[in-house]
Amino acid sequence: MSVVPLRPGVQTEPSSGHAQPVAMIEIDHVSQMFETSGRRSHLALSDISLTIEDGAFVSILGPSGCGKSTLLYIVGGFVTPTAGRAKVKGRAITGPGPDRGPVFQEFALFPWKNVLGNVMYGLRQQGVKRGEAEAQSRRLIEMVGLKGYESFYPKELSGGMKQRVAIARTLAYHPEVLLMDEPFGALDAHTRTRLQNDLLNIWERDRKTVLFVTHSVDEAVFLSDKVVVMTRSPGRIKQIVDIDLPRPRRRADLLLDPHYQKYVVDIEKLIDDVLEDELHP
Amino acid sequence: MNARVVSTDIVLGILPIALLVALWQALVTFGYAPVSLLPPPGLVFARLAQQLVSSGYLHDIAATLFRLFAGFGIAVILGVTIGLAAAVSPGINAVVRPVVRVLAPLPKVALYPAMLLLLGFDHASKITLVAADALFPILLSTYYGASMVEQKLIWSAMAAGTPRSQVLFKVVLPAALPSILTGCRIGLVISCIVVFLAEMITSSDGLGHVLVAAARTFQTVDMFVPLITISLLGLILNGLLHGLRTYLLRGFPEV
Amino acid sequence: MSASLIGRRLSPLLACIGLLCIWQAAALVLKTDSFPTALEAIRAIPSILGDHEALLNILDSLRRMVIGLVLAALVSIPLGLMMGRSRAIASFFNPLLMVVYPVPKAALMPVIMLWLGVGDVSKTLVIFLGVSIPIIYHSFQGAKAVEEKMLWSGAAMGLSAPQRMFRIVLPAALPEILTGCRTGLVLALITMVTSEMIARQNGAGNILFNALDMAQYETVFAMIIIIGAMGIVLDAAFEKLRARLVRWSEPDVDIPVSFS
Repeated sequence: MSVVPLRPGVQTEPSSGHAQPVAMIEIDHVSQMFETSGRRSHLALSDISLTIEDGAFVSILGPSGCGKSTLLYIVGGFVTPTAGRAKVKGRAITGPGPDRGPVFQEFALFPWKNVLGNVMYGLRQQGVKRGEAEAQSRRLIEMVGLKGYESFYPKELSGGMKQRVAIARTLAYHPEVLLMDEPFGALDAHTRTRLQNDLLNIWERDRKTVLFVTHSVDEAVFLSDKVVVMTRSPGRIKQIVDIDLPRPRRRADLLLDPHYQKYVVDIEKLIDDVLEDELHP
Repeated sequence: MNARVVSTDIVLGILPIALLVALWQALVTFGYAPVSLLPPPGLVFARLAQQLVSSGYLHDIAATLFRLFAGFGIAVILGVTIGLAAAVSPGINAVVRPVVRVLAPLPKVALYPAMLLLLGFDHASKITLVAADALFPILLSTYYGASMVEQKLIWSAMAAGTPRSQVLFKVVLPAALPSILTGCRIGLVISCIVVFLAEMITSSDGLGHVLVAAARTFQTVDMFVPLITISLLGLILNGLLHGLRTYLLRGFPEV
Repeated sequence: MSASLIGRRLSPLLACIGLLCIWQAAALVLKTDSFPTALEAIRAIPSILGDHEALLNILDSLRRMVIGLVLAALVSIPLGLMMGRSRAIASFFNPLLMVVYPVPKAALMPVIMLWLGVGDVSKTLVIFLGVSIPIIYHSFQGAKAVEEKMLWSGAAMGLSAPQRMFRIVLPAALPEILTGCRTGLVLALITMVTSEMIARQNGAGNILFNALDMAQYETVFAMIIIIGAMGIVLDAAFEKLRARLVRWSEPDVDIPVSFS
């Protein structure tokens, strides 16, 4: 895994032979139209351009219906944009691939496979031998804190555990980019906090590029290097906020940190503006 | 659900069947129905026990089961294949949908004379009728199961490196399995019913034929025996399918 | 949109024509006496429907079918709804229904004929028995799926238990009940034809098999078209009615399950 630790937001020190920060994902004038039932078309995304550097943790934040998930699906290669294009590592995205691993709010675990089977799936698909795939998967399951649950089926797990399995399943095939679509949105507050902490710990170990869709301001600020705030109908980028907070981050410390508080308040205001503009254009 | 509730359920469930048999016995005992029209249950079950060890009757059961399994098997293979194909290919869908819309509500027994004329009075026509009747519930539940597969399950598999050509077998088929098995369950009961009817209409062996032969000679006891046999066969086959379903769907949430 | 809608409306018709063409081609290739072409069969239809007695026979069949179906709905829907709302009632009836389910109801015809004769009563009873189970089953499923909190709201508004059943459970389960009735409709037609084939007294099924015995092959295939058309038309008409009654619910499957 080529991992280039980057300072969040500003990149000053060139390291490991990289003179410039490497663009992992480039979104280039992307627009997305959807046909709705009444024969009207709805502009979900309008002319979005965004560059995400290798190793950055970027959140997309916006009111529901702003097309933030659609943007993530376009990077995943699940949805082809109506106009513009997206690239990963300089190559145009034409479809899903194991270099970009999704984690969905709905978990989307295979119900017919147990925990081990789910986590092993991607490795087996990559042609890794059964024994090796199993050993790697067991290590990952342990890493996400589910040792002992290998033979459980998804239906026997709580929501938080299911999402841990889903994260392990995606990490298993070593994607360079994690695409997280409101991954903690369906979980209760306590479970969400724990998973946020665990995700940060995992991320700080190997610094994969993460594109994280959420509607929680607090979650976006806590996790990210950059927060992209979007408007809705049509979905556009309102503002990109660099979150310059030291890592590793501890939730308890951050809550008292005036910088953190200011980021949260500023972004809340931005979102308020977005909603206000909709009401009084 | 605890053991006590289950056992109460079983008692409650056996009650109406016991009451029915008791009513049957009472009708005979108190002379409301002449024995020639309604033989007492004891006589019928004794005859059933006697028949179940006679080679002639076992041959009839075997003939019925052969036609049932052949027809049901064809229906499963065709139904699952066509249902999956219609769910994943818009081109096939455009042809299959209207054809199924027309053929599904058609009473297939009405086609039986045509099958007799084309395929003869032997196994082939009966197997075809069974397959034609069991096909549609299996086809339709496969189709709906496969169309309802959650998009994100497919996306997850594709992102993990599953080629498009394998998504059908690695994701769509297993994800549609609960629905497919529900269709199979309906198809199996239909197969029991239809094979019996086909044998009643024209046959020289099988359980349906036993009933018709008994009816011709007014052997009322022998009329009840094949009816009870087909009910028992249905229960056993349904139980086996249920076991298979429980095993195959062990990971799925209960419906 | 309108073009695709017209395509949707027309596609079953096109399918019918396509199937008849396949039949025509197959008959021309096989060239057997016992397999007339589609055109020959269609030409035989007017003479059957023109025959006063045959027409009366078919109408008699339809009348028995409708009576059997309506009676079955009147008994099965309340029973199914009660099973769906009461665990005890459900566990009382479920095993009995499971035992009865695989027994072909039309096969009871010879036994019922012994008791009640070959008249309308026997045939209507057989149709009644034949369609009951799917209607009970679907009503049961529909009532079971009714959201408990909807009933709590009803109780809070002061509805008594029977009122809740009639004003909340029944409408909430209606889409599922009507799906059951649609299955029942096709099933009634099947049971009707089969019982007449077995009893061989009168009715559409009897005409069909008499023609077979007398080697009037055009009549056999013409009757198949008539019975098939009855199935398709009745189902389409019921589907129209159903769609109108439960406009508020999710669009249902537009292909019926013919025999569950």
